[in-house]
Amino acid sequence: MHFADLTLGYEFPAVEHQVTQDIIDLAAVAHLDFNPVHTNIPWNERAQVFHMPDTAAHGMFTMSMMASVVDRHWRAEGAQIRTMQTKFTKPVRVGETTRATGSITELHPLGPGRNAVVVAVRATDSTGDVVAVGTFRVAVPD
Amino acid sequence: MAMVERLAAFATTAKQKDFEWDFTKGVESYETWDEIEIGASGPGMRVFEVTEDDILSFNRSCLETDPMLVDPEYAAAHGGLRQHPLFVVQVVFWCIDTGIGSWLRSPGARNPGQHIELFEPFVVGETITATITHQDKWIRRDKTYVEDEVALHNQDGVLKAVWFTRLIIPPNRAELVRYASL
Repeated sequence: MHFADLTLGYEFPAVEHQVTQDIIDLAAVAHLDFNPVHTNIPWNERAQVFHMPDTAAHGMFTMSMMASVVDRHWRAEGAQIRTMQTKFTKPVRVGETTRATGSITELHPLGPGRNAVVVAVRATDSTGDVVAVGTFRVAVPD
Repeated sequence: MAMVERLAAFATTAKQKDFEWDFTKGVESYETWDEIEIGASGPGMRVFEVTEDDILSFNRSCLETDPMLVDPEYAAAHGGLRQHPLFVVQVVFWCIDTGIGSWLRSPGARNPGQHIELFEPFVVGETITATITHQDKWIRRDKTYVEDEVALHNQDGVLKAVWFTRLIIPPNRAELVRYASL
């Protein structure tokens, strides 16, 4: 992959996972984020932080899927994500299937060793609702 | 199955085993939105010594299957273990603990979105320190937001990453304690 070959609108292969409680628990342990909204099932029945009795996936797990859209496709090519900005628009309820996609929206021809692209990323749930949007700046090989 | 038993099935690293798995405990010492002073800055309570196990466990939690991320022997033979771009999350949650930035653990919190800047990958053997600065807090649609800058440096002072941690958190200690005691 070379910067000169990249085009606006280029679409990355999607990343999709069903978010089970096991996956949420695995993320909690790996992130060291044990907020009860993710891990404590009876607490959620009482607290209903998101107006639902279920646990919710970590926003950072959704963000990791969004990063994987770029990283899985371009990892071997030497591209590196430099900046990640995301906004979470809807909680991901346990059991939902999340699908993350991305496409190139900006080309930054800054010169050898400095070329970059901006990738618009988004994630949706099983209903098609958008759960997260973001922009990632990615350094790409010349 | 009880929460602790469920989580124990996934704890593989020393850090994961030596960590409080219930964020409703210790809320009396967490920072609260109304008490946070913008501009206050300080080090994280812990330093993060990067191990291969830490990176592997995070990569696997991202459901990665590429042997460059999940097979250390294969990765070692092909240029070295890669880390998922979100590995910084584990580093920050380890470093912050119950000191400055502890609002990150608040029961009742919601995640509106994040901003992370990556400068260099973390390297096995590095010792990472966090410098946490209260950057901003605001009210929007009756929700109380807070944002810190968490800068991560290695033992040589090299800036590795900055995570601008941002959450909607309970507005005061009474509300934080109420959430924790539900």
